[in-house]
Amino acid sequence: MFRSLRPDGADDVTLTLNGQQITVPAGQSVWSAIALAGQPITRRAALSGAPRSAYCAMGVCFECMMEINGVPNQQACLRQVEPGMTINTQTILEDSRITDAEL
Amino acid sequence: MQSFDCAIVGAGPAGMSAALTLAERGLRIAVLDRGQRAGGQIYRSASQSPLPDASVLGPDYTKGADLIARFEKADVTHLSGADAWHLGDDGRILFSQDHSTHELHCREMLLCPGAMERPMPIPGWTLPGVMTAGATQVMLKSDATVADGAVFAGSGPLLYLIVAQYLRLGVPIAAVVDTTPKDNYLASAPLLPRALKQARQLAKGLGLLNEIRRSGVPVFRFASKLQVLGRETAEGLRFDAGGKTHDIAAETVFLHHGVQPNLNMTRAMELDHMWNAQQLCWQVVTDPFGQSSVPHVSVAGDGGGIIGADGACLAGQLAALNSLYRLNRITLAQRDTEAASPLAELASMAPFRAFVDRLYRPAEALRLPQEDDTLVCRCEEQTRRDLRRGFDLGARDPNALKSLTRCGMGPCQGRQCGHIVAGLLSDWRGDSAEDTGYYRLRSPQRLLTLEELSRFDHVTPTQALPTRQQNEAPE
Repeated sequence: MFRSLRPDGADDVTLTLNGQQITVPAGQSVWSAIALAGQPITRRAALSGAPRSAYCAMGVCFECMMEINGVPNQQACLRQVEPGMTINTQTILEDSRITDAEL
Repeated sequence: MQSFDCAIVGAGPAGMSAALTLAERGLRIAVLDRGQRAGGQIYRSASQSPLPDASVLGPDYTKGADLIARFEKADVTHLSGADAWHLGDDGRILFSQDHSTHELHCREMLLCPGAMERPMPIPGWTLPGVMTAGATQVMLKSDATVADGAVFAGSGPLLYLIVAQYLRLGVPIAAVVDTTPKDNYLASAPLLPRALKQARQLAKGLGLLNEIRRSGVPVFRFASKLQVLGRETAEGLRFDAGGKTHDIAAETVFLHHGVQPNLNMTRAMELDHMWNAQQLCWQVVTDPFGQSSVPHVSVAGDGGGIIGADGACLAGQLAALNSLYRLNRITLAQRDTEAASPLAELASMAPFRAFVDRLYRPAEALRLPQEDDTLVCRCEEQTRRDLRRGFDLGARDPNALKSLTRCGMGPCQGRQCGHIVAGLLSDWRGDSAEDTGYYRLRSPQRLLTLEELSRFDHVTPTQALPTRQQNEAPE
């Protein structure tokens, strides 16, 4: 269970995580924000679809790739939260196919 | 296009120290760093800690604030949030910043890519909730975020440091599972007398171990056969210790058994590398000043071989002095006179480093996966069995195995699996690390969108002037 040691009443930022509004302290990385929100799954592994989460939190493992403001493959540990940000668990799988209708 | 005299990649202790030495002599310097503030991993957020009291992290961390302050006042073009993804031996650097692409040129290039944690490929290490001990520190330093009731498993000073920091903050810990093999104590003993010259370092290490012992947190020593329990996420750690198998329940498992140079930058430049048999990792070949096999490219700090933050500061100064000489700002005699003191200080640290390296040398069974089902390449989900099949089909070196199985081809570009794949192949072939080789890496060294590639500009010393003014630097 992740927890923040910041004093209460620090500036908060509201963002949307998988369609749900969450409020986290400002100045956080996106990764620690979702961890504090109790939803640490960042992506699904590309072949098996197994859930994954941040491993290194410093930009070298690429496990924390998420869809941030509509752009996939964003390393959540390297991005700071911004008010109104939209974050989604990344579910791009090897057998994902974009259909003509989606384009 | 106008060139910088020197471009430094990475603003950790090595990069900042080098920049200070060069800026004093009036050189035009660019420092590219991925962080929003300078500091690197070790001094991350040292100048603006979100913690109510940063002193719990210890003086080795808080002293970073002074270096960062001096660096931020210096007359350098500090490009923060800049992720370098192509470094050319023609002095060209391409980097991403603010969702666009930039190019700069330099005469001398100093790479300070730092260290990363040695991956620990045990069963279940890809489950959510399993992280490195370094990740704990990142979350603590930058985000004041902690995990209650975690298990800390592994070996080495960084592991004991973070456990001690958690204890000082009153964060509950489920257990410390120490994997330092018994044999390491015997093997490192002959190195101890020389290491005693750095008594302060030794006392610091013993102090951390005492803090942990006195805390009452369960400590299991000489642990082996680690396995993370859980199906969808981590639920605990299973291991053998004291002749018994233990299961400790925990949602978070932090692993650590040392650090290794972050190789992708130096490898992609095709600089000469060598196998470090003491630290069990690859590192770039340099002279005592950090100069690589490409004369105008130098490497300083942990990215060129693990020497720690204090060593990195000295290495940064040495690389800077050599660049000053190469740019005709000082004579060879001046370089050597000024280098005498940092060289001697660096040499005085070596015996203690050798002792610590031997004492905390990672156990073979934790460095290389023992079970067929254990994932080696996390990105492309290749298990030890998949890799062995590739080997049996004839893939004898890391690049052949990559072509056959896709290991190392995912978004992390082999950063996690590189040493593991090379180590497994070396074992299976019965050959040395050198003969087995390593992945051949290429630019770009990060994921890029076409959109950011379409926004392109050049950064020159003149254009970059506003950055200097922003730092309130003297003319």
